[in-house]
Amino acid sequence: MNIDLFATLIALLTFFGIAALMAISLNLEYGVAGIPNFGQALFVSIGAYTTGVTYTRLLPLLAGQEAINPCGATLAPALQLRSEIMRTMPAVGLGNFVLTLLIAAVIGGVVGYAVSYIILRLKQEWYLALVLLVGGETVRIFVRGYQPIVCANNGISGIAGPFAWVGNTQTASILFALLVLAFAGAAYWYSEKLARSPYGRLLKAVRENEQVARSLGKNVARIRAQVMLIGSAIAAISGVLFALNIGFVSTNDYVVTLTLDVWVMVVLGGLGNNRGALLGALLITLMDRATAITAIQLNRLGTDIEFNYFRYILFGVILLLMLRYRPRGLLPETRFTTPAHQYLARSQETGDARSP
Amino acid sequence: MTVTLLVDSLVRSVQVGSLYALMAIGLTLTMNVVRLPNFAHAEYITIGAYTALIVSLGVSSNPLLILGAAFLVTALVALGSHHAVFRPLEKHRTSTYTMLLASFAVGLILRYIVFLLADYFELFDRRIQIPLEVWYRSSVVILTNIFFWVVPTSIGLVIAFSLLLNRTPLGREMRALANNFDLARIIGIRVGRVVNLTWLLVGGLAGVAGALWGLYTSVNPLIGWFAILSVFAAAILGGLSSFPGTILGAYLVGLSENTLMQILNVTIGLDFSFKPAIPFIIIILVLLFRPQGFTEFLRSNRGLRR
Repeated sequence: MNIDLFATLIALLTFFGIAALMAISLNLEYGVAGIPNFGQALFVSIGAYTTGVTYTRLLPLLAGQEAINPCGATLAPALQLRSEIMRTMPAVGLGNFVLTLLIAAVIGGVVGYAVSYIILRLKQEWYLALVLLVGGETVRIFVRGYQPIVCANNGISGIAGPFAWVGNTQTASILFALLVLAFAGAAYWYSEKLARSPYGRLLKAVRENEQVARSLGKNVARIRAQVMLIGSAIAAISGVLFALNIGFVSTNDYVVTLTLDVWVMVVLGGLGNNRGALLGALLITLMDRATAITAIQLNRLGTDIEFNYFRYILFGVILLLMLRYRPRGLLPETRFTTPAHQYLARSQETGDARSP
Repeated sequence: MTVTLLVDSLVRSVQVGSLYALMAIGLTLTMNVVRLPNFAHAEYITIGAYTALIVSLGVSSNPLLILGAAFLVTALVALGSHHAVFRPLEKHRTSTYTMLLASFAVGLILRYIVFLLADYFELFDRRIQIPLEVWYRSSVVILTNIFFWVVPTSIGLVIAFSLLLNRTPLGREMRALANNFDLARIIGIRVGRVVNLTWLLVGGLAGVAGALWGLYTSVNPLIGWFAILSVFAAAILGGLSSFPGTILGAYLVGLSENTLMQILNVTIGLDFSFKPAIPFIIIILVLLFRPQGFTEFLRSNRGLRR
């Protein structure tokens, strides 16, 4: 029982870390810079599909072997080959992991930059929301219909985390959880630094009033595209970790409800506040697990009602209640003072503007 | 053989296009009168289809009764969602994104309530109980009573709705609201009443469209969601602000989803699993290259806005 509880905690922490990455990325885009990214599923899926491709094509090449087509008749030998490599060759496994992250971040970032740079110059801004939402579904339909990426409908299974060579499953999952949390921590630290930098203040200025920012000579479209580049890269990284965590890449996971989950996290936690994003990610992860466990328990009692649907209804209600009664979230955005402000405040106290 | 396929796909294009037109004019009206890109519109379609299914299973298989019930129930759901969610949010002067998000949330809640009920009463992928009759048969095409219900009803409703908008005092007030909300209020239009009627009409039309859509295919909790992006594609093709444009856009989307898809399938062997991507590609291409839509040459295109 104790071991079971411990494993649950590890799984929960991993899920939390991945959710936190997604929430931080959206918070940076919408909370700080005011860009309505309704394509979170698109960027997460870019990471996941990249994982599907690199773990079936790149991994054997790195190990010095011929890649086998992972779909159809050669499915079993391909699966065996990659699990063999991941189990026995730590350097290749880790190298492939790092390369996957890099490739995913680059593709995600470039797509985010390109799409938003084109669309954000249009008058009606919610077009970007629509294009990203629609883009995610389009990519999903293509990947689902086009065999070579992740075997169309079947998906790709048997993608172990970067620590499969450890041997002990529990140690591997602990190491992976720590790695995910480290990524989440790094993303938090980075976006906190970014939001408090002069550049972050520029982003908030663009969010608050685009015309003013433009009249001060700022290239609003480019600034927003830059934020999308960073945010999408983080989302793509979270997609890689997501795929590695569940060990499976399937087009069915990256649908619009995933995007909405991330939105619920950010709106619940607090727009423009990175701690809020973390809190939202934590609460939603807990709620997600809790409703899943409750649904299983209740269905075991033999009721006819499918309790899994309540999860979506609950999330919808939370979103509406937050938008209605606490639009700024549980942890609203805080004011922060720059060194220059602090200097000014001190000098006003002493009455001399020049004294430090 | 090829001719049969082509004619068959054209028949489907007309059928689907008429339904998209019926769904899209409601969406265009919401976008203009209440300024909300309403994703919950998808769920009104689903609810209309389910109302039709339940009436046909439990009450009667008279198509008029079925469509009437679908109109009524969905109109009330749409009005309810306005009063419960959208109006309180509007009062707080929230941004378009907040409203968009709220419409997603409403859609999510409605969709999964439908899922729950459909699961409990075992109503997945059921067909609306109307006896199928062949009304026209030739060497290349067979037309059933469903076709003769779907197409004239849709076209008739679209025409009736356009007349309402252009020829009646209520329509004029709606257009005034779409044009300038504050000014409409100042000159004494009872804004609340007009908005309520707009929601009833929008919901009712979506419900009828859903019921007809359910006649055409089978009913499941996702039919509205699968249709909604095609409907957005139609509205965007029409420039989001005009009825003639939206209707033209709807038929274009229907045509490309069926006839164009069929042609691509025969000529270059494109698989039918790519069909759902067509409306998405239309949306992306239009927004990238011609965000004002393709129909500004239509005389009345600027009718709803400016």
